[in-house]
Amino acid sequence: MRLFDRNQMAMTAVVRYPLRSSMLLVAIAIGVAAVLVLTSLGEGARLYVTSQFNSLGTHLLFVMPGKNEVGGLGGMAGSLGGSPRPFTLADVRALGRSPYIDTTTPMVMGGANINYQGLERDIGVLGTTHTMQRLFEYEMESGRFLPELDLDNASPVCVIGDTIARELFGNAEPVGKWVRMGDRRVRVVGALAQGGQSGGHDLDEAVFVPIAFAMQMYNRESVMRMMVEVTSDEAMVKAKKDVQDIIRARHFGHDDITIMDQGTILNTFNKIFLVLTSTLGGIAAISLAVAGTLIMNVMLVAVSQRTAEIGLLKALGARRSQIIGLFLTEAIMLSLLGAIVGVLVGYAAIEFLRYVYPLVDFQAPDWAVVAAVLTAVASGLLFGIMPARHAADLDPVEALAGN
Amino acid sequence: MISRDVISFTQRAVLFNRLRSGLTSLGIAIGVAAVVILTSMGEGLNHYMAVEFSQFGTNNIRVAPGKPETMGLGPGIMNTLRPLTIEDAEALGRLPYVVATTPNRIGRSEVEANSRIRVSNVIGTGPDMADVFQLEMAAGQFLPLDDPLSPRALAVIGATIQEELYGSSSALGDRIRIGGSRFRVVGVASPKGDLLGVNIDESVVIPAARAMELYNVNSVLDITVRFEEKAPVDEVVASMRRLMLARHGVEDFNIATQQQMMEVLGSVLDVLTIAVAALGSISLFVGGVGIFTIMTIAVRERTQEIGLLRSIGATRWQIQNLFLSESVVLAVMGGVMGLLLGGIVVAIVSVTIPTLPVRLSVPYIIAAELVSVAIGLIAGVAPATHAARLDPLEALRTE
Repeated sequence: MRLFDRNQMAMTAVVRYPLRSSMLLVAIAIGVAAVLVLTSLGEGARLYVTSQFNSLGTHLLFVMPGKNEVGGLGGMAGSLGGSPRPFTLADVRALGRSPYIDTTTPMVMGGANINYQGLERDIGVLGTTHTMQRLFEYEMESGRFLPELDLDNASPVCVIGDTIARELFGNAEPVGKWVRMGDRRVRVVGALAQGGQSGGHDLDEAVFVPIAFAMQMYNRESVMRMMVEVTSDEAMVKAKKDVQDIIRARHFGHDDITIMDQGTILNTFNKIFLVLTSTLGGIAAISLAVAGTLIMNVMLVAVSQRTAEIGLLKALGARRSQIIGLFLTEAIMLSLLGAIVGVLVGYAAIEFLRYVYPLVDFQAPDWAVVAAVLTAVASGLLFGIMPARHAADLDPVEALAGN
Repeated sequence: MISRDVISFTQRAVLFNRLRSGLTSLGIAIGVAAVVILTSMGEGLNHYMAVEFSQFGTNNIRVAPGKPETMGLGPGIMNTLRPLTIEDAEALGRLPYVVATTPNRIGRSEVEANSRIRVSNVIGTGPDMADVFQLEMAAGQFLPLDDPLSPRALAVIGATIQEELYGSSSALGDRIRIGGSRFRVVGVASPKGDLLGVNIDESVVIPAARAMELYNVNSVLDITVRFEEKAPVDEVVASMRRLMLARHGVEDFNIATQQQMMEVLGSVLDVLTIAVAALGSISLFVGGVGIFTIMTIAVRERTQEIGLLRSIGATRWQIQNLFLSESVVLAVMGGVMGLLLGGIVVAIVSVTIPTLPVRLSVPYIIAAELVSVAIGLIAGVAPATHAARLDPLEALRTE
């Protein structure tokens, strides 16, 4: 039997029972489409985070006080309490003098209540410098971002998020008004445009103040974290070393800061998302196993319905391997067709997701598509073997008689 | 046809082609097992958190800075303008029913002892902490009852710290340096592991006032209040709120009972469990497609039989029942198999990987069984209706 004949026969069998074949296709297609859609959720989330990160530019360093292991609750305790030696504004200024460093953006975060004409709100406070706007490309609704000040200058000015502007001022113009934060009076110099969200902060509920002002308000001498913009990609390694050397020299020989570049942080994120995506894909792939039982079942039915045909083939001299090949081809053909339908349906569903949530770049990772198709075909092969062997083991005489 | 006949007909139909019936049920079984296993992980996590929370009794209340509506970790956890002080903790301790209060302040510092250095967690707290969190001592004692505002510089070290800095020699009475300040070790804690997110073994415990001094802060992170077990919770919370209002003037604090904290956490985990159950149900759906296919084939194969039954007086309704009950039986068999399969896997996991909390979730099991019955019904309707609509004469004539 030639390859062409075999495929031809299998194809005829597929077409001859349209209902049965199409149900098999549906079952496999559901499984494959589910894998594609679910992994696209995980991948979409990963790409979203990555693009948010990369929009910051590629040559950034993140510096935190304390020698912490990345992530984990040990890191949290460090940012809550503080490290043995403070990471001061003087340190920040010293780092800014490195030839490899373009800008330094120190940050202090905290909570406070903001008050305007009897209206009060709980807000997140971000003490930082004017360079922050350049890094994150904040858009202003009105006024301007924090002015360029000396690091030590604790001018009582602030930039407020959109929700705060609306809650406290309604439709009135907030810029130029004086609000009360804690027990200090602060002048609003700008309001951010709505919908800003960066680095996990909800900017609509945030208030920006000069770093020195925030450190005074919270009575602390240590910066909580700092972003360093390096002059160029090539200078990254040198800049990293420079930061380390400068801090070591200033902190009496102690390496008590943690320096991370985007690569390290992205790697951590990628690992987390990979686990998430493959878990989702794995759960969806269980349905492919279920589809496998259906393949086996349908092929068994096919064998019993075509007993006479098998008997005829055997009587004509078809070998055992040829009979097996015939039925396996049919099983694989069905599962492959199902997988193709599934991929198409999956991509359509993903397109729909993109249409509904244009912000997130949903897309099934290539490995998931390949794995889904391979799993479908493999289950066709695996669950097709038993019925195929069953067919091959039929006694030709009995089979011809139709028993 | 009486119901006994339906049963025996169905039984024979299912048993006639055992392999086929088994495979069809297996499809549903895999789906049910997936739901059982996945939800048991969610349920296990839920149970683990509940145990973790209530291991210290359920009579704890947490006071944190920040407005009442801000649940969870607000921005105030890093810096706040509304300090919660040791004096607040002292005042709360004098309320009726309250048996213990512990102000908490955590940080991270270098600990230097025995000419070795290790960066570790620093927990600033009060002498009641050992009772509240049931911390046991391997050697020495916990922080003694000192003046809470100016306590002596004493420290209790965790098991890992003892191991790393002192090895097998005793740390008791030794002077250690925590972030530049000197402390004397009065106790070594027994290994305990994580305590609400902070690894106690990797920590040194010092008086709260000393920790605030060390980190130059004027506020504690939170205050844990423990009240008498049989005390009315609402009354305790109300009296705490009155006291704090009187002390602070405005409601700049957040009082959450353990019950409330657990509810918030529980609702998050519930959503997670529902999500994984839904994902697992995709397999159930595919299993349903399987039943539909097999039932359709069965109707085709038994067309003659249907024609015979109709011609000797079986009604359409009875024919429909016959096939519907067959598909439901297949689904139910799958449901039971899946439950067994899932239960076995969960049992194996809980024995072999004790750190992974798994626990069968009865509501989800019931839901999965009901869904599998429903799938059997829905998948069976179309083929059964088709069978019932067959023309008896045509059906008898087919081969």
